[in-house]
Amino acid sequence: MSQPVQLFCWHFMAYPYLADNFDETEPTGWVTVPNRLWDRDKARGLYQEYIDQLSYGDQLGFDGMVLNEHHQNIYGLMPSPNMIAAALTQTTTRGKIVVLGNLLPLHMNPLRVAEEYAMLDNMSNGRIIAGLAPGSGPETFNYDVPSAPTREQFWEAVDLVTSAWSKDGPFRHEGRWYPLRYVNTWPRPVQVPHPPVWVPGSRSKSTMVEVAKRGFAFFLSSRSHGEETARSQREFAQAIESTGDRYQPFRMGILLSVYVGETDEQAKRESREGIWYFLKNCLKGHLRRTGRQLTFGPGIPYVPPKDFRALLQHSKPDSKLLGDADSWEELEKSNSIIVGSAETVYRRLSQLIEESQVGNLLIQFHLGNMKQDLVRKSMKRFIEEVAPRLREESKAMFAERYGRELEHPRALVGVGAGK
Amino acid sequence: MNTQTMTPARTVDVRGRKVAVLEQGTGAPLLYLHGFVDVHGVKPDFMPFHDRLAKAGRLIAPAHSGVNGTDENTDILTIEDAVFHTLEVMDALDLKRVDVVGHSLGGWIAAELAARHPEKVARLVLIDAMGLFVPNEPTGDIFMMAQPSDGGQNTGLRELLFKDARGKVANTLFPDGRGDIEDEVRRYQMLRLGSFIGFKPPYFYNRTLTNRLYRIACPSLVVWGEHDRFVPPAHGREYAKLLPGCMGLKTVDAAHALIAEQPDTTAKIVTEFLG
Repeated sequence: MSQPVQLFCWHFMAYPYLADNFDETEPTGWVTVPNRLWDRDKARGLYQEYIDQLSYGDQLGFDGMVLNEHHQNIYGLMPSPNMIAAALTQTTTRGKIVVLGNLLPLHMNPLRVAEEYAMLDNMSNGRIIAGLAPGSGPETFNYDVPSAPTREQFWEAVDLVTSAWSKDGPFRHEGRWYPLRYVNTWPRPVQVPHPPVWVPGSRSKSTMVEVAKRGFAFFLSSRSHGEETARSQREFAQAIESTGDRYQPFRMGILLSVYVGETDEQAKRESREGIWYFLKNCLKGHLRRTGRQLTFGPGIPYVPPKDFRALLQHSKPDSKLLGDADSWEELEKSNSIIVGSAETVYRRLSQLIEESQVGNLLIQFHLGNMKQDLVRKSMKRFIEEVAPRLREESKAMFAERYGRELEHPRALVGVGAGK
Repeated sequence: MNTQTMTPARTVDVRGRKVAVLEQGTGAPLLYLHGFVDVHGVKPDFMPFHDRLAKAGRLIAPAHSGVNGTDENTDILTIEDAVFHTLEVMDALDLKRVDVVGHSLGGWIAAELAARHPEKVARLVLIDAMGLFVPNEPTGDIFMMAQPSDGGQNTGLRELLFKDARGKVANTLFPDGRGDIEDEVRRYQMLRLGSFIGFKPPYFYNRTLTNRLYRIACPSLVVWGEHDRFVPPAHGREYAKLLPGCMGLKTVDAAHALIAEQPDTTAKIVTEFLG
């Protein structure tokens, strides 16, 4: 069963009402960014606007909508993405609802996550893709989560959640972190054995192996694409092969941002304000050299020391991150914020799919403080003028290269959706 | 005067795990439990402070779990586990009753160990030790400060740990940019241990320690950097007040990194007490 590249629209739900001088006056957009900056009057109706944009994506014909979890920051106003997902179950009818993901170590009991996803799967008639994530630096600080044991906690929680969905209960769970006497989830999810599970990771091989052996999909959380993305795909394909399975493109997803205009110049003109708000404000404290980033480093010691040593050997402390881009040319090099006419965007995405062999494109259309009408215009242009060609050519390419794997997918995928 | 003999780190088998131990000096054994800005924590070898301390006896300094060549003990998730790990190290080294000097995180372990097993500690010295809950005197956030700013600047860490954050000592031990990779890994290993035992709550304390300190009747001394911003001096005053055998609270014109900033003064205070 061959299918084309799956095109999702991702909304981060940024706080869009910061003053123009935010970057000069505030050291970070994360964890400690003062909440007195929240403007109650301006923010009235903001969630409705964002939910409407995603519902519009469903009407246009995107394959799904993506949400994720963040706390105490201006980058993403979804401490509980499941609440937005619940709203989308009522305002959308076709697309998948991808929550990428619930941050398991932040929950006292992962059963709550199993229960909420099971509810959402029922409320959406089997449209849920369940992202499970360990969380990273900022959560360590704002939720008092010791980072050193989070990996171990995470994988125990993942297996508890999937068993809670698929195994008949009640059963005992005897793990180190979440010992439970009665696991017996009501409701059970619609999809059998359970909703598809996506797990985000950077380039950690151990994460890839854990994802591969469970039959999950790997979401590469990297914010720049190019040779590194293709290398990650090869490494993940190897991880899958080591489990006796074979790679197919729908086992992997990547994140990128897109703005489609009438011409390249118009696209830049229209998206400039939103993109630079996103780069300089939303990424401050996360993916910017300026200030103190809290996403990865020695203060968040969750990887084993040998992995940290390898990271030091292969990185420079002062190298530029996505948010440090100062020009369109630099931005273009990152290959993850793609701005231009339909022709330009098509050409670059086509090349990215060809090079990375990834079947799930998770695309951010709303950047920073971008105005609603611009977001919608860009989404519409994308679906009408970019998506058809990408879908047609990727379907043919994937069928040719992965026909056998796609005919008999061995990996766990949710069955029974939308009956 | 003892002959100073610097021996390279040896590894001791502790119930199947490797523990790296540095030793120097002769005479009565003196167990040294290290902190962050310390032997094992920032440097692989003894620093000038330890050389001077080794004049008081045979200085024995095991590296903590997961640090500087010691295997990570995966049973350690709380301070209680770290104390048991240290008891196992003492058993392996055949240390039945010794003087114990603990600095910073090592001071916390030393205090908890002495409260549980007062018979094992002859005399106790706590140097800028965390471990106590002192209302309105939280420890500084070493985890956040350990995240470099502006592309590799360690200003935050230097300001948290040193009185003279711009001075040579601070900048040598915590340089900007990519320093010695193995030094950075050692710091990472210490933060990882700190994350296991000192992050929940995120202030390196055990609320029950306060009411247990009465058990430590042996002669003890509290030494503090009077400018410590990581573990505020109020914690030192609290220890001095609650330790029944406390012979005094001595302050040094330095911050948390007093053993690096004032090695002579700090070592003199300790050796005079132990002398």
